[in-house]
Amino acid sequence: MADGKRVDSLMDQVWKFFTSIKLAIFIIIILAIASIIGTIIEQNQPLEKYRQIYTDGAIRLFESLNLFDMYHSWWFLLLLVLFTVNLSCCTIDRLPRAVKVVRNPKTTLDENLEKSLSHVDRWKKKGGLEGLAETYKAAMGGAFAKPLVTENSGTLHLYAEKGIISRFGVYVTHLSIIIIFIGAIIGNVFGFKGFANIVEGESVRTIPTRGGTNHVDLGFAVRCNKFWVDFYPSGQPKEYASDLSILENGREVLRKKIVVNDPLQYKGIWFYQSSYGAAGAASATLAVHSPDGGKVETVPLAPGQKKEIPGYGTVSGVDYQNDFQGLGPALLVVLEKPGTPPAQFWLLKAYPNFDRQRGDSRYLSFAGVDQIFYTGLQVAQDPGVNIVWVGCTLMVIGIMIAFFMSHQRLWIRLSRGGDGRVEVVLAGSTNKNRLAFEKRFEKIQADMKAVVA
Amino acid sequence: MLNVRLFDITTLLFGVASVNYVAALYGKKVILARIGTWVCVAAAIVSTAAIGVRWAESYKMGIGRIPVTNLYESLVFFAWSVNLFYLAVEWKYRSRTFGAFVIPIAFGTMLFAFTNESSIQPLVPALQSYWLHAHVITCFVGYAGFAVSAGVAVMFLMKAKQEERKVTGGVVGLFPPTKVLDELVYRAIIWGFPFLTAGIITGAAWANYAWGTYWSWDPKETWSLIVWLVYAAFLHARVTRGWHGRRAAILSIVGFLATIFCYLGVNLVLSGLHSYGGA
Repeated sequence: MADGKRVDSLMDQVWKFFTSIKLAIFIIIILAIASIIGTIIEQNQPLEKYRQIYTDGAIRLFESLNLFDMYHSWWFLLLLVLFTVNLSCCTIDRLPRAVKVVRNPKTTLDENLEKSLSHVDRWKKKGGLEGLAETYKAAMGGAFAKPLVTENSGTLHLYAEKGIISRFGVYVTHLSIIIIFIGAIIGNVFGFKGFANIVEGESVRTIPTRGGTNHVDLGFAVRCNKFWVDFYPSGQPKEYASDLSILENGREVLRKKIVVNDPLQYKGIWFYQSSYGAAGAASATLAVHSPDGGKVETVPLAPGQKKEIPGYGTVSGVDYQNDFQGLGPALLVVLEKPGTPPAQFWLLKAYPNFDRQRGDSRYLSFAGVDQIFYTGLQVAQDPGVNIVWVGCTLMVIGIMIAFFMSHQRLWIRLSRGGDGRVEVVLAGSTNKNRLAFEKRFEKIQADMKAVVA
Repeated sequence: MLNVRLFDITTLLFGVASVNYVAALYGKKVILARIGTWVCVAAAIVSTAAIGVRWAESYKMGIGRIPVTNLYESLVFFAWSVNLFYLAVEWKYRSRTFGAFVIPIAFGTMLFAFTNESSIQPLVPALQSYWLHAHVITCFVGYAGFAVSAGVAVMFLMKAKQEERKVTGGVVGLFPPTKVLDELVYRAIIWGFPFLTAGIITGAAWANYAWGTYWSWDPKETWSLIVWLVYAAFLHARVTRGWHGRRAAILSIVGFLATIFCYLGVNLVLSGLHSYGGA
């Protein structure tokens, strides 16, 4: 530390710069302003979108300042580095002092200390020094904390303290930020984030990474066995789910149904339900029956496709309704039989015997539509995430300690006065929350004065 | 719906309490402020009941979820938090003058809620998570702390101006001394700050569990960080550089404006992952 009398060396000046709270506040404000800019200019949008909002000149300027991907720009990262350096330097600079205060408590109330304290009171008491010391020791233990008694050339000092840990809350908080950054860096360097669309029944082994052109080989395959989506009556999606299997060498080793907010994890790689879509057109399924009700065959029917029913005719599906006149799902089919004009009629899923009334050699029923979906999965591996959570937990703990605890100290000095009575000096100090301590001190003051030897 | 009627009664009560607190200041009638307190207690009971009823009604509708998932619900929850936070402060500091500066915030919030769609809507899949509870509750307790701090900061500025002019008496004369106001501006923030921190962290944990990313610089996330940074700056300026009084009060008001933008502005002006909160 510079002692102020000689001119600070360059190193000292650099050190002073990085350990100043002014710098910290400055960086915090600049980070806040930069973050605001990043929310006003929409990030990572296609160029066409920017063209609609900004002039070419503005786009060129913003691009040169990396404002379209600001949070990953070199200058924003530099700001974060500067922030971390400042945080570390402040800790290195101040932590030893805090340790010193804790390790070498001032257990005696000398005159210099007394003058520096704002809570001091004194009174006189009859009685012996030792006896009074015992009395005050017990009283202090009851009203505050058990004191330490030291004797110094005929004067007795009682010292007690509370909430030492509060001196470290700020360092725990600052350390937690650094831990979170470390976790984030580990995640960015050793992890990946990707996206996979898997059609029902198919599997993937490699995942394209988000935003990049790279592919990650998972080392195993993930198969989507089935996908569902449920809707609320309003048409809003209620739940979507994928039945996923993990395959090692073609053998299923794990199977789980995932929904939004309930992912699957295998070998540190997480699969999150993210989106879905239709893969190809829906196909309908028809059942062909003999007049006695026996099923002859099942016919899958893609839209616009004509299918032959051997020995009967050809059939095609031309329309589908989810709810046909309140009767539920229905399929409009066209039936062509040799020698007769094409017939068009609705088949209702809920009434499989409906077509029997035609009284033909065969009747048809509609078994439902099959839509093949693909499931959209976010895929992520983040080996740093648990470090981030450790940092977050420490941050909350550190903030609580820093704000809700205070290092409170109390002294009593007993010395023999000129008139034969014992002079009692009571003094207290706190590093935080002065108003609350003021009240506490007043209470202790009253308690101590009321003590009867 | 019964819950909406109860919330309407709550709005009315906040209105009555606001008028009482303000009238108590100007008319110097302590009894009015005392009535204000009891009206606020009544509002706390009615709004708590309303939240419970709404929760129960959502189960009856087969939706079944905590009522903090759209703008209407978040507004009434914010007003609920501000009121409780305020009552705790009033009780602790034994002064009813704060009411005139804090309860109107709750009243205005309820009036704004009144103009929004109040029906119970089902949850989109992304919101169906237990993280929702922890995330929303922590965030709003934080916001409530900042609201109380900003209200007291306004009182501080008025009181400080009066002291500067060496005038005594008047409405402002009834305020607690600047020393107490200044301390309260700070203490409300140190209550709000850890809750906001926990709110951001639970949001990050939830995002990670739902999407595999704990931070994606979405406008809402970014604005919550901005608010956090503003209060972090406040705390550093105060604790280590002795920013008390006027400058601290102004910073507290700036912080609350940033909070309001984070809460409402982002949904209404910017687009992003939290867009459902604005509908």
